[in-house]
Amino acid sequence: MTAIETKALRKEYNGVAAVRGLDLCIEEGELYSLLGVNGAGKTTTVKMLCSLTAPTSGEAYILGHSVTAERGKVKELVDISMQETAVARKLTVEENIEFYAKLNGQSKEETEETKKYIYSVFGLEKEAKKQAGKLSGGWQRKLSIALALVTKPKVLFLDEPTLGLDVIARRELWKTISSLKGKMTVILTTHYMEEAEALSDRIGVMKDGELLFSGTKEEMFEKTGKTGVEDAFIEIVTGGELNA
Amino acid sequence: MRESLSRIITLTRRNMKEIIRDPLSLIFMIALPLFMEILFYYLFHGMTDQFDMKYLAPGIVVFSQSFLSLFTGLLIALDRASSFLTRLYVSKARPYEFITGYMIAMLPITFVQSVLFFTVGGIIDPSIFGVNMIFAVLISLVTSLLFISFGVLFGSVCNEKSIGGVASIVIMCQSVLSGMWFPVEGLSGGFMTLMKILPFRNASLAAQYALNGDGGVLVPTLIVLGYTAVIFTVSVFVFGKKMKAD
Repeated sequence: MTAIETKALRKEYNGVAAVRGLDLCIEEGELYSLLGVNGAGKTTTVKMLCSLTAPTSGEAYILGHSVTAERGKVKELVDISMQETAVARKLTVEENIEFYAKLNGQSKEETEETKKYIYSVFGLEKEAKKQAGKLSGGWQRKLSIALALVTKPKVLFLDEPTLGLDVIARRELWKTISSLKGKMTVILTTHYMEEAEALSDRIGVMKDGELLFSGTKEEMFEKTGKTGVEDAFIEIVTGGELNA
Repeated sequence: MRESLSRIITLTRRNMKEIIRDPLSLIFMIALPLFMEILFYYLFHGMTDQFDMKYLAPGIVVFSQSFLSLFTGLLIALDRASSFLTRLYVSKARPYEFITGYMIAMLPITFVQSVLFFTVGGIIDPSIFGVNMIFAVLISLVTSLLFISFGVLFGSVCNEKSIGGVASIVIMCQSVLSGMWFPVEGLSGGFMTLMKILPFRNASLAAQYALNGDGGVLVPTLIVLGYTAVIFTVSVFVFGKKMKAD
């Protein structure tokens, strides 16, 4: 089944287009990476797909539900981890999970199950009684992503999840994100090309609000004649100007 | 409706924990005003009327509430900056539930403030103890809504770095324009008119009148409520706008 489908999706801010006529199709269970330089329109696209902001024109569907006409249903199906570490700083890890579960209508029993699930996926149990604000950057980011799983979304958006993390914390998060593959549809936006290369089933490249490429790594290499995602990305975005 | 109420309670509990676990908020909202109440009474009472406990205690209660604008605003601004609010917006919660959650979370704090400062005032000067003290606590809850509304507005508009400066204007206005630190009788007409028009002196007067059983409590309370209604309406509108923009 198609998890995400967009048709001529467009978003303008004060007359300036941030996303221009995006046509995208992502299958259920895929891990799809959206790449692009700053201002390419990745975060705006993600916000439209989460029903956080309304498109100026065009349409998008999450598992067949319109992001404009069925916002309530879409919000039940998706969750997001933004590039900032979005946790309640003075609450413990456990309280953060309980808070987000209760906010989404989970009963006590469901909340307990959710905690077990989150602990098993992210290894957060040993940090459960610590205040979120006192965790290391890596653990805070893990918690931030973990909270997005509390609602057991069908489609998970990870907006630059490893931004600013050290290499060890980043690799640990890769492992966690990899473990989600197949269990839900994951849309990952990132500036790290090696991240996209290591994790993605398919890759999309955006520039100035337009989708320039969408396909597998192999198709990307074939199209550009390059052998790495970074070189292929630069080839697509700059038209080969920066590749020697 | 039931689900909405449950979400408001969940948000309120979280916001209360965030405030109570911040040592700075407890220092500014509880410890500092308490220190000022005791110090100023023993230094200045008998010199001018406003340092008599029947005027000083209500003044301190409302002054301590002015810090609610800072800490409510700071909590909202930090939640916006960290995208915590954006995350919650993806949940089933609605903007009015967020605002209600922020506002109700402050009421137990302001209740503690007024009970503590009136009680300490009563221990120092037992003549202020009486049934009017309960009325004064209730009126204080009403005046606190003004400062909480300021906080919601500032938190929606400002970032976490600028909010200290903006909220300090309210704290300074409450300090200077309430007339709690100096005799107002000798002030010029223009300044006095400004004090009467703005909500700060009216908030102090409402608490003072309530504590002292003065029948004039209604007018300043209504003026404060009028300002609160306007600021609250604007803050709800701005909060909703900023939520979409963020």
